[in-house]
This record gives sequence, structure tokens and C-alpha cells, in this order.
Amino acid sequence: MSAVANYIHRDSFVHRLSPLTKLFWSFLLMTLSCFFRDPLVLAGLFLSIALVALAAGILKEMLPVFKGLLVIAGLFILFQIFFITDGTTLFTLIPGTSIGRVTDVGLIGCLAMGARMIVIAASFPVLMGTTQIKDLVVVLVEKLKIPYPYAFMFVTSLRFVPTFMQEMDQIIQAQSSRAHRLDNKNFVRRFLSVCPLAIPLMVTSVKRAERMAISMETRGFGVGPRTNLHVKEFRTVDAAVCVCLLVAGIAFVALHVKGVLV
Amino acid sequence: MHSAVISVENLSFTYPGASQKALDSLSFKIAEGEFVGVTGPTGAGKSSLILCLNGIIPHFQQGTFHGAVLINGCDTFHTSCAELARQVGSVFQDPEAQIVAPAVEEEIAFGLENLAIPPKEIDERIGEALEWIGIANLRHRSTTELSGGQKQRVAIAAAIALKPKILLLDEPTSELDPIGTMEVFEVLKMLNREHGLTIVVVEQKVNILVEYVSRLLIMKEGGGACDATPRQVIAQPALLTSVGLKPPPVGELAYRLKLKGLYPGELPLTVGDAYLGLAESLSIKGRA
Amino acid sequence: MIKVANLHYKYQSGLEVLHGLSFRIGKGEFVALIGQNGAGKTTLLKQFNALLKPTAGSVGIAGLDTAKSSTGELSRKVGFLFQNPDHQIFMPTVAKEIGFGPKNLHLSKGEIEARVAEAAQAVGLTRYLGHNPLLLSKGQRQRVAFASVLSMQPEILVLDEPTTGQDYQEGIEIMEMVKKLNEQGHTIVFVTHDMELVATYARRVIVLSRGRVLLDDSCRNVFYHPEILKQTNLFPPQIARLAQAFAGEGLFKRPLTVDEMYEEILALASRPEGAKNVCCS
Repeated sequence: MSAVANYIHRDSFVHRLSPLTKLFWSFLLMTLSCFFRDPLVLAGLFLSIALVALAAGILKEMLPVFKGLLVIAGLFILFQIFFITDGTTLFTLIPGTSIGRVTDVGLIGCLAMGARMIVIAASFPVLMGTTQIKDLVVVLVEKLKIPYPYAFMFVTSLRFVPTFMQEMDQIIQAQSSRAHRLDNKNFVRRFLSVCPLAIPLMVTSVKRAERMAISMETRGFGVGPRTNLHVKEFRTVDAAVCVCLLVAGIAFVALHVKGVLV
Repeated sequence: MHSAVISVENLSFTYPGASQKALDSLSFKIAEGEFVGVTGPTGAGKSSLILCLNGIIPHFQQGTFHGAVLINGCDTFHTSCAELARQVGSVFQDPEAQIVAPAVEEEIAFGLENLAIPPKEIDERIGEALEWIGIANLRHRSTTELSGGQKQRVAIAAAIALKPKILLLDEPTSELDPIGTMEVFEVLKMLNREHGLTIVVVEQKVNILVEYVSRLLIMKEGGGACDATPRQVIAQPALLTSVGLKPPPVGELAYRLKLKGLYPGELPLTVGDAYLGLAESLSIKGRA
Repeated sequence: MIKVANLHYKYQSGLEVLHGLSFRIGKGEFVALIGQNGAGKTTLLKQFNALLKPTAGSVGIAGLDTAKSSTGELSRKVGFLFQNPDHQIFMPTVAKEIGFGPKNLHLSKGEIEARVAEAAQAVGLTRYLGHNPLLLSKGQRQRVAFASVLSMQPEILVLDEPTTGQDYQEGIEIMEMVKKLNEQGHTIVFVTHDMELVATYARRVIVLSRGRVLLDDSCRNVFYHPEILKQTNLFPPQIARLAQAFAGEGLFKRPLTVDEMYEEILALASRPEGAKNVCCS
């Protein structure tokens, strides 16, 4: 979880761009990916994401994430491919029968779906890796007019991930000391063995949430419009990048309409 | 003439569904610049008192509220928590439940941003608050890496950044070790002496309270059992034992010796004081 | 009972926290483990029931090697009372909560009921057996946690900061229960920051500093070793500090409590020629 949303500090051109620009890029990619059915074009879009990660100097950190996405896409393809039976059969899993039939239409269609999934998902970790959370929140609240409490919830929940993990460790240790076992062979038992861990975690979390709310109230939370200490400005270079991206996007769509890119 | 910055008048409060009152007809005044300690057994109402002083009761916590709490003349019943935040800063027991931001600078900025202070002023105030507390070197650190004592000092800095004249603390050192405890109390002493902040601190650790505060409020079952200086409280050990608290050892020793005429002068609040008193009494005996 | 031999412990990150500790704790001892934050006290405590295992050296608990035993196995011998009772309470009734440990040991229903009743009585919670533990006060929840540990009937009790976060009365109640158990033959090891507590209850004190044993001696000997204690940023109890201030005159016999010092001062004052070697004017 943390690898997906962690900010990786570098001094790159991409890092210096406004969060708004990067959000626009991410959104543009997601939109474009819906237009195309050719797996090669979609793979090209994914490659462009990887190139951006390279330009930002975070490609190495992104590789495990991309690998994970490939695995998920692969599983998806595997589950879907045998159900699409249009077109010419390329091969069957069990030769001589019709079980496990893989057709050309099916193969291309599933590869496209898988590639589309990857493109949609892959820009998010790159966005989070090059944008500090606090800057993202400011943009969400000020430019996109999302109510502050929602943006705040998102940011604060991330800050609590290490705290929750520590609490969970302590709970596991406390319950193990009472001979509680977490490694039952029986699936049902193993599921139930989470109860003595989940309930204390929930209880302590709820109590902590209440105390946090009180602390926040005493510091004026939620009364009205806020100011922000750090505001990442939308500069000329950001506008230039956005214009370029928009032009490229329109060009892609035009090529698609013309039938050049499928 | 010192005016009363906090005025509690016949304050009573009962939590919803509770059979007993959490606060029962409590009345006292605190003047500007005082350093007051509040102590008492569990259930005495100390935390509830703090929540009444910063407006959480009645605005955030429901219940039956009688009497009045005036902060700088404003009735907390008719003043919002946010407005009170500019006059009263609050620090609580659990460092993890106060820190909302991943970085120290953002944490201190939080309250200032909420009150829509202009960014340039926020920047200055953060620097000032950190300087006052003596933790300017922590400005760019991540809050998760800090020790308990450091976290509490960040919480204090975050509270005073709003420039309140009054600082309330509810058992701030409960989860800390002796070093952390001392760090927090030294900061409070400095804020009181050098910056004139009025401080109200709830603590169980009577030994450290008597060393630092100028006035001690002992609570019991929602009401005030005693309101005196630390020396006066030590001179009546039954006061503390009657509420289930332990008198500081050197104070108790000096009290018992005094009954036998073996301890001169005022009862000691610290080991240092006790040494001087005992040295004098023993050399007096030597010459006799 | 507890045999620690050249114990080393390293975090996964490679940082070594315990550097070659060796000591033994016999049956029925009452030991306090003190040291500043980061000295390794909690890390050491967790070695006793195999929550953590040595990276070098060994820990033996009542004859069992912790490296080869699981925490579950050791839970019959070592009862661990954690600082925060809310980290373990999850059952709808106090009785079920106390019975959770014995149930994990696969004891018979009758045996579990008997142990629950006994443990509840030891901590004074018999009339709360049917209550929901989450709705009890903090002090009561701590006693529920304590009873849950006792119901496993361990010979060794390990307590991590048993009085932190509680008021004086609640803390004393827990320590008195522990003292009673010690009188019945249990071995006690506890970690605390409260030196007054150590002076009142512990007979032996082990001082840990930066992962090494700095001092391992009787309570009295440890608190009258100011030069060594200074290295650890620990303050001896007030009475010991006061008496130590008169060390040059050799006036006191190392008292730890108010009563002891009071008696000594009375004795000094009633000497016919007064104390000759008293501090000069």
C-alpha cells in the first residue's frame, strides 16, 4: 500500500510541475485509453508512463508496482480469455476438444482490456511519487473545490498507516502471549482468529479518533475557509505542458477517428 | 492588579446517561500569569474541567451543563470552540491522538490554517513557536520519528502558535518517561516565566507538580477539595491521603520531623530544599 | 527460573539492541528492570516469552530454550502483562475474556471455569464477571487484563509498566496484588520508570543501559550508586537522594523509605553529644 502512494523525493522537472498538471495528465491518459482497442497502442501509452517515471528519476521504485499491475492484468486475461469465442480459434488447452478455446478475437480483446487496465492504474503511483500529499490536498481543495474535510480525511488516514501498523504489532504480541494462534490450518479457524486482533484495533482506533476530533476542535478545525502555508503555483511552464498534452491528446483522437490508430 | 482570566462559577456537568455528576458546583478564579496544578484521583473530574475550559463541553460533548465558565470575560457557553482556540490552547495526554500531520511544520501550521491566518504570518508564527519551545531543529522532521517528549513539545508548540494567553494541559506527561516529563515541565515553566502565559496543568505526579506550580487545586468527586499553595498542601498531608494521593516523600518526612520540632522553617518542595533544611536542623542539634 | 546467557538481539535493520547480557533470576525473586528509554528493557522482557528470539546467546525459561519454543508454549510458564489493556480486550463478558487464554490451552470447560473464578477473585472482579469489559473504567480494564494473565497460571509474571497512566491508588492496588502473588511463590520481573515504586516493592534491581547490564544488585545497593546511575539519566527515589547528599558526613545507613529515614534522624537527634561530624556552618 505504502509503495503505491509514497512520495519519492527527487529534484526533477516532473516533481516541480503543479499537481494540477499531473492530475490532468493522469485524467487524459485514462480517457485516451478508453478510445483504443489495439493492444499495441495501449502498450505505447503505458510506455509513455514509464518514460515519465524515468524523467522523474523514479523508474526504479516504480518497477515493482508495474510488475504487480502486470500480474493482475495477466490474471484478468487468464480468467476472461476462455469465454470469448468469436473469430478463428487459435488453439485449445486440451487438444482435440473445445475446452479452453482461445480465439484471435479473444486474444486481442483480452490483451487490450488488460493493457487498458494497466494504463488506467499505472499513472497513479507515478503521480503520487512525484507529488507531495500536502500539495495535492491544496490543489484538490482550492482548484477542484473538494470540501476540505474530505481531502483532510484522505491525507490524515495516510499519516496514520505507521501508527496502525505499530498498534497491530502490539495487539498481536499481547494476544500471542495468551496462546492465541494465527497459523491454523483450518481456513474457517484462521478467519476467526482475526477477531481477537480486529476488535482491539477497532476499539483503540475509535477512541483515538474521538480524542483526535477534540484536539482538532480546539485548533479551530472546520469553521470556515482556510489558508494554506504552501501553495504550489500553476506557472507558465505548467500551462505549456498542459497545452502540449491536450494537443497530443486531440491528435491521438483524430488519428483514431481517421482509422489510422485502432 | 491582576484580573481573573478564568472564572468558574458554580459549574456542574453530567455526561449523558451517567448517574453521577462529573463536576459538582465547582467555583474558582485564576488570575493572569498563574501556574496552576490540578490533581486528584481518577474520576475526580479533572479532564472534564479542562474540557469545560476550552469549550469542548458544551459545544462538542453533550450533557447537562449548569453554571458558567468565563474566559477573559467571555462565556464559553456562547462562544464557539474556534473563537476560544485563540484564547485557550489545549494539550492532551496521548501524543498520537493530537498530531494530524506527517511533518512538524505542517502540524504547527494546522491550527493557523484553520483560522485563515495569511501564509506569511503562518510561516513567522511557526518559527516563533518552535523557538519559544526550543525545538527549532525539529521543524522539517517527520512526526512519526519523534520521541514521546518531542511529540508532546510539538503539540505544545502547535497550541501556542495560535497565541493564546492561557494554556491547558491534561496529563501531558502520563505516557512519558522522567526525562520527557522534565522536558515538558521545563517548557511550561519557561512559557509562564518568560512569556507570561497562564498555565493550568492536570497531573497525577504530585512530586513534580509541587516543584513547579504556584497553586494547587485538589479535586475530588467533581468538586474542589482544596485550593492552596504547594507548601500549604504539604503542610497538611491528610489532604492528599484523603483523596488517595501520596504526599511527596521529602515533604512527608519534613512534616513528621517538624511535629517533633526537628525541622526548621518551611516544608520543602524539592530534595534540594529538604537537604538545606535537614542540614540546618542537624547542625542545630549538634550545637545543643 | 530465568537463565540469560550472552544474549544478543539485533533488529531486522541490523541495529543491535542487546549486547551480550548474562544473568539469572531464581524462583520467587522480585526484580525491577530499569533504564532509560531505548536501553532495551522492553526488548529484553519480550525475550522471556519468545515474542522475540535471541540472535545470539540463549534464554532459558524454567528449563525451556526460548529459541526452540513458541510464545504459546511459553504462555503456561510466563504471564506477560502489557501496558495497555485495550490491546487485548475483545470478548463480550469479563468471564469470557479471562477464559480466553485457558481456552487456547485446550483445557476442559470445568477447569476453565475454575481458573476464571480464581483469577477474578484474585483481582477483585468477581461481581463483574457478567459485564462487558469494554465498558469498565481504565483501572478495572487493567485488572481484567491482569486476571486474563493469571488464569494461565504462569509461574513467572512479567509486567511492562504496570502503573503508568493510572492514579496512585490504582497503581498500588495492582502492585499489592503482585506482591501477594510473589509471597505465594511467583517470580516477578517488572519494568517501570517510577523509582519510588521500585524502592517500595523490588528486592533486586537490574539497570540496563544501551543494551548492557550496568548494575545488578539489591535495591539498596543500586540506588546508592549515584555515579553509575548518573550515566543512565535515572534519579534514585527522593529519600535516597536526600540521604546521599549527606554521604560526606556518613550520617545515614542508606534508607529508602520515609519511615526508615525518619527513624534514623530520630536516633541521630537523641544522641547525647549530638552528631560530631555534622555539616559545618
